[in-house]
Amino acid sequence: MRCLSESWIRLAIVLFLAQAVSGCLSLQIEKTQEGVDILPPLAEFMPMRTKLDEILAYYGAPAEVVDMNGDFSLHYRRALSRGASLSIGFPLKYTFLPNPSIKTNGDLLRYDTTVFIFTADGVLKDMKYSKGTERSLWEDYWN
Amino acid sequence: MKGTRLVISMLLVAAICCGCAVFGRGKNFVPFNENALKQVTPGKTGASEVTQLFGPPNRIVKLSNGNAYVYERSLGKGTGLWLVVLTFVNYDTQFDRIVFFINNDGVVTHFGSSFNSEKASYAMPF
Repeated sequence: MRCLSESWIRLAIVLFLAQAVSGCLSLQIEKTQEGVDILPPLAEFMPMRTKLDEILAYYGAPAEVVDMNGDFSLHYRRALSRGASLSIGFPLKYTFLPNPSIKTNGDLLRYDTTVFIFTADGVLKDMKYSKGTERSLWEDYWN
Repeated sequence: MKGTRLVISMLLVAAICCGCAVFGRGKNFVPFNENALKQVTPGKTGASEVTQLFGPPNRIVKLSNGNAYVYERSLGKGTGLWLVVLTFVNYDTQFDRIVFFINNDGVVTHFGSSFNSEKASYAMPF
């Protein structure tokens, strides 16, 4: 019975400490996503053979159409950003003038992209696919 | 002892429930009718019919042998959860897009469409 009361009191103390430091310590985790998953190009897509309508039928409307002085390209893109911020502060400004605080934040925006380059006649000339969201978040952020 | 426990329980509930959740929804809306695509036939439909059916495009891209008319609308959903010292924020934006390729004679040669705005979801960032 005594043990139970002690654990309740300990839990209450932990929660009150958490309440007391709110504003002094905070951690924010954020994710932003634009667009759906980008599929890798089919093996059947071959430069100088595949036509514009085949790509449009498989991928739908692109995010961007770019003129390339005769040729043109279709860009399919998904953007994924992950961020975190940590702040530690001591709100003493009502007691003392110095108000020490440390704040740090970081975010990394990555892309999954497929680009198709076509001749003016709508024949596939080149294509590139990159899945940036599968790369290591930690390594990409620090390198 | 009973009174102490009651007070502690109430304070625990207050501490755990301290925080809030926010849900937001934003729409970048250009009205276009998905079913109107059935009326578009490459090689036959003209640029004027496209604008009649879908209204003015969001963007026109000049190409060497014509133009691309781009129609786009988006739906964004945001979720936020504030706990005592932890904050989780998630934004998800998805798009509906139609692109018409129109040759120099003003006729649609190709078009592509994707309707994904309904896939935008409220979620946590993990």
